[in-house]
Amino acid sequence: MSHDTVTSEAHARAPARTRRLAFLIDRPQWLGAVMIAPAVLYIALVVGLPFFLALYYSLTDITAGSRTLEFVGLRNFAAIIDTPKFQTAVQNTFIFAIGSQVVVIVLATVLALALMKDFRGKWLVRLLILLPWVAPMSLGSIGWLWIFDSIYSVINWTLEAAGLITADDWPMYLGKPYLAMASVITVHVWRLLPLATVILLAGLTSIPKEIHDAAQVDGAGFWRHLFQVTLPLVRPIMLVATLFGLVFAFTDMIVIFVLTRGGPYDTTQVLSTLAFFTGIQGGDLAEGAAIAVSLFPMLMAVAIVFLRIARRTEVI
Amino acid sequence: MPEQRVNRRQFIKATGAGALATGIGANIIVPGRARAAKKTLKILQWVHFVPVYDEWFNKKLAKEWGEKNDTEVIVDNIGIAGINPRATAEVSAQKGHDLFLFNWPPPSFEEQTVDMKDVYQEVEKKIGKPIDLCIKSTYNPKTKKYFAFSPSFTPDPVNYRQDLWSQVGMPNGPKTWDEVRTVGAKIKKQFGNPVGIGLANEIDTAMALRTIMYAHGSHEQDAAGNLTLNSKQTLETIKFVKALFQETMTDEVFTWDASSNNRAMIAGKLSLALNAISITRTAEKENPENSKKIQLTKALKGSVRAIGLEHVMQCYVVWKFSENIDGAKKFLVDYTTNFRQAFVAGEFYDFPCWPKSVPDISKLIANDPKGHPADKYKVLDDVLEWATNVGYPGYANAAIDEIYSTWVLNVMFAKAASGAASPEDALKEADAQCRRIFGKWKEKKMV
Repeated sequence: MSHDTVTSEAHARAPARTRRLAFLIDRPQWLGAVMIAPAVLYIALVVGLPFFLALYYSLTDITAGSRTLEFVGLRNFAAIIDTPKFQTAVQNTFIFAIGSQVVVIVLATVLALALMKDFRGKWLVRLLILLPWVAPMSLGSIGWLWIFDSIYSVINWTLEAAGLITADDWPMYLGKPYLAMASVITVHVWRLLPLATVILLAGLTSIPKEIHDAAQVDGAGFWRHLFQVTLPLVRPIMLVATLFGLVFAFTDMIVIFVLTRGGPYDTTQVLSTLAFFTGIQGGDLAEGAAIAVSLFPMLMAVAIVFLRIARRTEVI
Repeated sequence: MPEQRVNRRQFIKATGAGALATGIGANIIVPGRARAAKKTLKILQWVHFVPVYDEWFNKKLAKEWGEKNDTEVIVDNIGIAGINPRATAEVSAQKGHDLFLFNWPPPSFEEQTVDMKDVYQEVEKKIGKPIDLCIKSTYNPKTKKYFAFSPSFTPDPVNYRQDLWSQVGMPNGPKTWDEVRTVGAKIKKQFGNPVGIGLANEIDTAMALRTIMYAHGSHEQDAAGNLTLNSKQTLETIKFVKALFQETMTDEVFTWDASSNNRAMIAGKLSLALNAISITRTAEKENPENSKKIQLTKALKGSVRAIGLEHVMQCYVVWKFSENIDGAKKFLVDYTTNFRQAFVAGEFYDFPCWPKSVPDISKLIANDPKGHPADKYKVLDDVLEWATNVGYPGYANAAIDEIYSTWVLNVMFAKAASGAASPEDALKEADAQCRRIFGKWKEKKMV
């Protein structure tokens, strides 16, 4: 092959590449697929693969230290479903998830409405609200562990200094069942509030100003405006925020693992922590997987219902 | 510019010489590369409670052993919470460290570990027999396999405030659990310092409560590995712990994590706690005045015997997929037979499972420059005789491990102590869980 032929081929290759690129850019159906492919691949590898692996493990007798496994059908599910530990964990999971979501949605709505107004230092408030979201979850939880500590609790020190409690009646935040559940919910709310606020803020911003003006002209007061105009309009996006929050709460284990490890006496034990203690610490990977995926059908149903309602109520 | 053509022969000569020069040159510049056949030994250790130990292990022991055995030793240290997840990941990937240290017996990993019988035999040939605790924590009588090897363990003595106990006429601390209850209540009433035995989902609680159980003749299993939790002795022990909590403690024991009793003791809040010597060692560094007040005493007597648990059990495994099985085993033999260095480097935190590996142990602990007084740790002189394993009088098997890891007994005691359940109901519920766990692992033929 002569030198000249190689050069002319190289020249010919460049326009061909450009032509292919132009073909891709001109056809949205192809470009869309190419652009979304990395995200799909990422979800398939990081979420899909572990999920199907967990599903597969839950139907076998695998242990943390074994490579050979036998298919056992639904035996692991049948074994756990009647145990008080599992039932308590299911109950706690719902209390934790629903409790934290109710608080998150109420607070996020208040915050988002406040952040819609113009005031001095708004950027600083926005920054502070976002901070818990950017801080690593484990570090944040350790910080809260100190806040709730039985000896060094800053809350108790402050209350005692203010004369509201005495040294002998310090509340043990992580030692009483109701206080412990309230504590883990508080930390979870602290963590999820920024995301929900930002989502709702985006929803509120997208409402056309004319609608608010029309409501004002019609003489709607604050509450009427809020409940009959603003909230119905942001309902679809609020449902998405709630769904995100619920899925986070149902699957997260860091807050409870760091703060209580399920205590006192399993009153904050949720399915994710129980799955970890059984599967990873206790070595029964199959049963741990069964505990972990046991809520999947219910979560999927909740997701479908939420997304359907969101789509139906979409008015903007 | 004239065009320079290179023919095939010239090209091969030039690239061949270049490749040769690159290979040799790199070995001249980087001497380590000259020994391409050098073996590697990868060790996973926990982040030791005594930082000086890690310094000694990583920079001195590993380096010197590597030089002597023409091996590059790589040591990775991870936090205690990451050990089991890391082991599971290594097994799943069939790749990882050649030598893996667990801080507790790892029976559920048996299928993936090399039988350590030959290591036991080799060490025994050199320094005699190990203590019973060592075997009970690393051997599965069902499969007749040593799934791990243990060079050492950390004792779990009683830490007490001598200044407080002296004022009620017991300067040497309590000798029995009944004294902890009666005198502990007196101290709490008089000085406001409660006893600190955890009732939370954490490892110190798990150890302390088993210590009380075994001392009162209550056990999860018998010597043959049959479940024996549901017994009169267990019920009596639950009632005892309930009374101990009500009379001598506060609600804070339900909130604890593994370091809470250390903090509470060092802060001067507690009159007594069960822990490794981490309490006294930390106090010596952080609060020397307070450290003089905290003294140690031996295992306390219950209604049946005086017995204590190991606090941390160092169990090394060699994976079947390890790339240097022989090197890992040799390292263990050398490490164990010269354990005296480790004992000193770890400031007596880790005691030998092989008594003859630290022949002058009594002399060492009787004269510690950091202790107040210098013979503070002398009380641990006979710890090899009274320390036992989780699962006593049986072996630390996979069922015992799961019961331990899912806090079954912690919850049983905590429910009864708090009044959330009666002692009878708490026992019934725990027994049902243990039965299921034992049945499951028996079916897997691991127990």
